[in-house]
Amino acid sequence: MKLALPRLGNIEVINETIITDMGHELIEVPPNTKKTLDLGVRYAPEYCCLPLKIVLGNFIEALELGAEGLIMAGGWGPCRFGYYAQVQRDILLDLGYNFKMIIMEIPRGNWKTLWDNINILRNGRSWSYMINQYRFAWQKILLMEKLENKVLQVRPREKKRGASSLVIKESVIKIKKAKDLETLKRIEEDTLNRFKEITNFHKKNIIRIALVGEFYVSLEPFSNHYLEEKLGYLGVEVVRKNSIEAWIGPIMRLKIFKDSFKEEKEIEQAAYNYLAHSVGGEGQTTVGNVVLSHREGLDGAIQVIPFTCMPEIVAETILKKVSEDLDFPTLTLTYDEQTGEEGLNTRIEAFIDLLKKRKKKEVMVL
Amino acid sequence: MKKKKIGIPYALYFYEYFPLWKEFLTRLGAEIIISKPTNKEILDLGIRSSLSEVCLPVKVFYGHVISLVNQVDYILIPRMVCVEKGTFFCPKIIGLPDMVKTSLGSLCPILNPLVDIRKSYGNWKNSLFQVGQILTENSLAISRAFSASWEKFQRNYVAHLLDPQTLRPGLLNCNNRAKEQLAEALINIAVVGHKYLINDSYINLNLIEKLKNMKVNVLTPEMVHPNIIRKQLKRLFKPIFWSLSQQVVGAAYYYFENRVEGIIHLTSFECGEDSMVGELIHHQSYQYPEVAYTEFVFDEHTGEAGLNTRIEAFLDMIRRKRRNEISFAPSW
Repeated sequence: MKLALPRLGNIEVINETIITDMGHELIEVPPNTKKTLDLGVRYAPEYCCLPLKIVLGNFIEALELGAEGLIMAGGWGPCRFGYYAQVQRDILLDLGYNFKMIIMEIPRGNWKTLWDNINILRNGRSWSYMINQYRFAWQKILLMEKLENKVLQVRPREKKRGASSLVIKESVIKIKKAKDLETLKRIEEDTLNRFKEITNFHKKNIIRIALVGEFYVSLEPFSNHYLEEKLGYLGVEVVRKNSIEAWIGPIMRLKIFKDSFKEEKEIEQAAYNYLAHSVGGEGQTTVGNVVLSHREGLDGAIQVIPFTCMPEIVAETILKKVSEDLDFPTLTLTYDEQTGEEGLNTRIEAFIDLLKKRKKKEVMVL
Repeated sequence: MKKKKIGIPYALYFYEYFPLWKEFLTRLGAEIIISKPTNKEILDLGIRSSLSEVCLPVKVFYGHVISLVNQVDYILIPRMVCVEKGTFFCPKIIGLPDMVKTSLGSLCPILNPLVDIRKSYGNWKNSLFQVGQILTENSLAISRAFSASWEKFQRNYVAHLLDPQTLRPGLLNCNNRAKEQLAEALINIAVVGHKYLINDSYINLNLIEKLKNMKVNVLTPEMVHPNIIRKQLKRLFKPIFWSLSQQVVGAAYYYFENRVEGIIHLTSFECGEDSMVGELIHHQSYQYPEVAYTEFVFDEHTGEAGLNTRIEAFLDMIRRKRRNEISFAPSW
């Protein structure tokens, strides 16, 4: 079967492990561009959040390239994400495409669908082979995220502008091709060494900002207008609070994805005084992470949300209060299908200037 | 002892659960103060005190809360999480007590019992028990008040339901006289949407009254029996996990299936559930071309002329269609 996986940051690294190596044909989804967004916006409901639109655009592009099966995650609310796959399926069927939507989610009652979906993905291979492949894919994701987090530290300190982005790009291609754990280890060492070469260790007093907010928008550079890069070039170290690791881990609650939900409790505790109950999505996590960032001594936080996101609006309302109470600067950036960047740049620059001034003052006082 | 005054905002889930709260609280000797029906002042208060990105119903809710603040001892804002297995309320409703608390500060103590039946089946009772303890120390009285009010609430819930026979008058095999009557008959239009939109005549710009004045028989989701809704929802590819939207979709599907003449879906700007649910209903409408379908979005702007034009156009279309059907129907 010709399968396609929607884009999310560098998640394409697992494509070969879970699709090609399982005997399926891989349809490489083209990188997110204005065209992807336009396609999504044209067919998606108007008030849906941005991730749905971009992923829908991905799917349309994949189907145009001949995909027969689309892999998508699901869920059971209260965030709208749980219903994405259903709505996207309806829209695509209406457009006249013929395909199978492979929705990976913990089913409610209907275990047969999940069983069938897993069997489609398994494609007649042995179970142990499949489990090994998925474990390996998980290792790839972990490594990729580790390196991406490293880039965020290196970028404000790099000797030559843009060097770290090049390194990570090459590494991602290597990870994509990797077939065993040893190769991954070698790639890791190699990349970390190259990072050391391009880093200027003399830079001091670098501003550190937590990037919190909605999962997709914070991890997919296209949807947040390459915010991490922009901040990096402004000399800011971004501390990414969302990760695929932390997202899939708690959902699966499976042994193979062990030790991925250790921080969950801590975040909940931190948010408790402000938002006592989970509101779905990353609502409570966002609030908790901002409180934790303050404790960790970061300089500020940027919350990124897609327009009309339900949980994040709750979080945004509450962040105003958190920011006031803790004297901790936060900035909320709302993204929709508008692609004008200048307004965004101005806001980021102003925010960074503010943080720099604050930091200077602190240093002088000390 | 002076009676404790408990304020209940006249918005959002008020329309669902007020009978229960009222019965329970009055039995325990509290004085209930309901905020006034939404008006310009309340809406303005809400808009001013909330973020611009919050959806309209929540803004209205803010307004109601603020209008109550000076008159009462407590404000009741339950945290509704889950009242039926496998469903949730919208994230904004789950976070509502915290949102109100952070935005309005410590203006007035808020009672926020947590209703989440996933924790234990009797969670309704436990959460109302917490509220009851503020009013009286006699736990037996609280228990009794709860069971009485719960029973009454359940009975009320299935009060005025619809007779499916009246939905669509037959067109075939009718003589000229019957045709004339039919041309004059009221148009059956189903208005589906959240209760807090349909029943709040200020937000929906008096839509229901307007329709009635234009010789329309207005049908709402409340008129459909919960069992029918449950049956209709089985047709979905994936169950809906929002309690409040289930009724909307189930009712809309039911009205489509019974071929009412028109369906109007009311949504509010920024409503997250409706963006998904609206799409489901919209897709369903493709399968029933004989049912006219339209969608009205409400926000804090109050220009009525645009709405009037749309209603008139919608009704004109249905009337014209009916006239055509009548004149081409076989008669003898």
